[in-house]
Amino acid sequence: MAENRQAVGFGRGFWIATAVLTVVAAGSVYFWYTLPISNALPEAILTARQIDDLFRFMAAVGSALYVFIFGYIVYFAIAFRAKKGDDPNAIGVQVHDNVRLEVLWTILPALFVVLLSIISVKIWYEITLQPANGLVVEAIGHKWYYTFRYPQVHGEITDEMHVPLGVPVTLNVTSSDVIHSFWVPAMRLKTDMVPGMVTTIRFTPVRPGRYQIICTQFCGTQHAEMNKQVFVIEDRPAYDAWFHSWQAKNANASDAVATASTGTVALAGGDAKAGQATFQAKCSACHAIGPYSQRLVGPGLKDVLHDPSHPSLVDGDAATPANVAKILQQGYKGDMGQMPSAQMNAIGDKDIANLVAYLNSLK
Amino acid sequence: MAVQAAHAGGGIADHIHPEPQGFIRRYVFSIDHKIIGIQYMITGFVFFILSGLLAETIRVQLMNHAGGFVSNDTYNEVYTVHGSAMVWLVIIPIVTGGFGNFVMPLQIGARDVAFPWLNMLSFWMFPVAGLLLFSSFLVGAPVAGWTEYPPISLEGGVGTSMWCAAIFLIGVSSTLTGINFIVTIMQMRAPGMTFTRMPLFVWAQLATAPLSMVATTALAAALAALFIERQFGVPFYDPTKGGSPVLWQHMFWFYSHPAVYIMVLPVFGIVSEILPTFSRKPIFGYKMIAFSSMAIALVGFMVWAHHMFTSGLAPYLQLPFMILTYVVAVPTGVKIFSWLATLWGGKIHLTTAMLFALGFLALFTLGGITGIFLAAIPYDLHIHGTYFVVGHFHYVLVGGSLTGIFAGIYYWFPKMSGRMMNETLGKWNFALFFIGFNGTFLPMHWLGILGMPRWVPQYDPQFEFWNRFASVSSFVMTFGILLFFVNVIWSLRNGKKAGANPWGARTLEWQLPSPPHYYNFKHIPNVYGLPYDFSLPLPYKGLDEELTDSPAPVPAGSH
Ligand code: HEC
Ligand SMILES: [Cu+2]
Ligand SMILES: [Cu+2]
Repeated sequence: MAENRQAVGFGRGFWIATAVLTVVAAGSVYFWYTLPISNALPEAILTARQIDDLFRFMAAVGSALYVFIFGYIVYFAIAFRAKKGDDPNAIGVQVHDNVRLEVLWTILPALFVVLLSIISVKIWYEITLQPANGLVVEAIGHKWYYTFRYPQVHGEITDEMHVPLGVPVTLNVTSSDVIHSFWVPAMRLKTDMVPGMVTTIRFTPVRPGRYQIICTQFCGTQHAEMNKQVFVIEDRPAYDAWFHSWQAKNANASDAVATASTGTVALAGGDAKAGQATFQAKCSACHAIGPYSQRLVGPGLKDVLHDPSHPSLVDGDAATPANVAKILQQGYKGDMGQMPSAQMNAIGDKDIANLVAYLNSLK
Repeated sequence: MAVQAAHAGGGIADHIHPEPQGFIRRYVFSIDHKIIGIQYMITGFVFFILSGLLAETIRVQLMNHAGGFVSNDTYNEVYTVHGSAMVWLVIIPIVTGGFGNFVMPLQIGARDVAFPWLNMLSFWMFPVAGLLLFSSFLVGAPVAGWTEYPPISLEGGVGTSMWCAAIFLIGVSSTLTGINFIVTIMQMRAPGMTFTRMPLFVWAQLATAPLSMVATTALAAALAALFIERQFGVPFYDPTKGGSPVLWQHMFWFYSHPAVYIMVLPVFGIVSEILPTFSRKPIFGYKMIAFSSMAIALVGFMVWAHHMFTSGLAPYLQLPFMILTYVVAVPTGVKIFSWLATLWGGKIHLTTAMLFALGFLALFTLGGITGIFLAAIPYDLHIHGTYFVVGHFHYVLVGGSLTGIFAGIYYWFPKMSGRMMNETLGKWNFALFFIGFNGTFLPMHWLGILGMPRWVPQYDPQFEFWNRFASVSSFVMTFGILLFFVNVIWSLRNGKKAGANPWGARTLEWQLPSPPHYYNFKHIPNVYGLPYDFSLPLPYKGLDEELTDSPAPVPAGSH
């Protein structure tokens, strides 16, 4: 029987086939490791390279394995086929199992799983733990465009995001209506923009250029048009010039609002205790005392004055007590909805001072 | 007449109910598992043709980067109904309700499923659900893709609510079928058929049924909440009213990942029957194949968040989902290697059924490999929501499930109809399908990697070449599928008479006449071994009478 098996299954043909498949598999590994991926799709951020390396690894192992599986299917189907003159009742080699083989093909994939897990966790770690000390930008998805908020720039910038080369970027994303997503293929990075929730991603741009930002979550009729946004990375002076131009442009716009306003509120002497009571009565329907992302109608306010990842208020101003007072005074309509003015909330200047003292006391 | 003969036999479980009379009771509101199985298949294939037309609408639209064949809104309706129907009205009903019903009771030596009336009820929910889903086109079909993520799925007209109701109904149907199958397999196996003597197709159904039962209830809850929020404004998912959009994603994927296994495990079973039959060899590693189905079903419940790596979950929560998803590769690999080893040293008969089974092996394996890319969080952050995903799951569901369904039809058609299918047509069917399929879905992988998102009616001009290539290939594939229907219809009238066991197969259903009698077995046989030992006599006792006094031959077409 054993000899018979030798003759039937492991004859010359089997070894020739195996040799051919080995060569093809080696060729496929070589192919993936030499494929110039970055020619077709630039690697624009620090981690893109590692992500592509992970791809090469999976593609190499996967295709080598596939070459063998597909090759053996074809080879077995041809080599062992019942031929014309064969006895129609002939049967194959009656083997039921082979413990050694089965252990082998359980353990080898298991080892691959361990290896792949280690590699992916390592890369995942680098993606998630990018430095947080650089530029903070907020990105908001809308039907069917993106807006961006920068510290020190009043208001919003539509459809173009600029970041300086080599500076770590912390991007806080959310949405004003339905779920969108923020994908820059050249950065190999994507995150959903979920309304009522702020998600943070970090990256460090390392290659100047214009790249596409694409929405990959279905968001309505013009979803496909959220593909046209460009992402520009420039070097420092150019970036600064761009930044200042927006600062100036948007400052003019908001100055007009400022002059129309009713003046400033004296914040000194605000009473946090009294502020807490007012907050319970007037604000808690729309705001939680929790992180920014804990949204009722408006954002959570616990960290409004102490959140490094959210340095500007919803209107784009820096998170200072005076600017919070301004929002309480004038109200603000943004993409989450309407923050009522002091008049609508029926609160006076004293209440505002108390509320700001209260918010400032939270940590 | 046959009924009386059977009663005269006496012995265990020989209590046979008389066959219901009249066309309606026999073929419409039938409680016979074989008729119900065939009803599932016919209904499933009708919906398959409809959603196949939708698929071709998609491919025609994408021939040009600027679209232009249908409007954006129509396009969105088309792919949403295409996806929903293919999953819930085609693959799931055909592989569980269809093959499960027809084959499983025969293979375990039972006269029917445990609850035949419930079975009929399950079936009839299915066409109703299907009509509900397709009639949503009349009022504006849902548009947000088969995943219907809120808040966008909270918008729009009544079509999306009809979608909820339809999927809910089909979910109830599949839950009931799950219960029915579990009880049947646990309670109604022929004497001597221990778990380790069960055919692998039965094992596959046993692994699938708890998935249908448990996972589908999560989907039903999610759908009910979506329906209530849409129609009555109770906020579950709307974040501006305190709801959570991500809640839906959790509930949806808690169902929809196991649903992938609802769609492929039964096909694993089909292939595990076909490969040994046409290799004239025992299935290699019977126990490992059976066990790995159960392992896949179990781990399949713990990986759902691999669809949500971009949804903003807490970072550390994501890691276990990635690693558990990798782990699924191990039992899946065991299966693939065991099937391969089954071929080795066989006497292989390349019938059409066998070709489709081999095709399944080749295509499903590729779908499994690309699944690893999506499970790896770092790479998923790049390719999630792109055409890579579209390519991947079509390899699993079309290359895997649908190819397996074709294999199963070519294999069991003689048992169902008493006639053989045409092999020449069958081989053309296979070749065109296989080539067209790969041409359609392989390029999608690099389209996605290079930057083409899914769910778009227009796209960047740089992707036009491969989209046209995919569209043209899809026409080839469609033509191949057309040959399948031609073959079925032609063979029903003109196919060669099959006889009881045209393939020389060894499971119980092949020891009965084709098609089997209403009551399946005159005497419930005794089982004393695995069905796959081609060198041994059949491991059944008490089958002698099954073929000897069949009813007098009747003219073709009137049976
Ligand atoms: C009707 C609901 C509502 C009420 C009541 C309300 N707010 Fe707001 N608030 C909002 C909304 C909505 C926003 C965000 C506006 C936007 O950006 O779209 C907001 C924004 C704010 C912000 C800016 C937060 C940031 O991170 O930039 C502060 C501060 C604030 N509210 C304080 C208060 C206080 C104090 C009260 C009680 C006097 C109050 N709000 C009452 C809805 C409300
Ligand atoms: Cu979108
Ligand atoms: Cu999944």
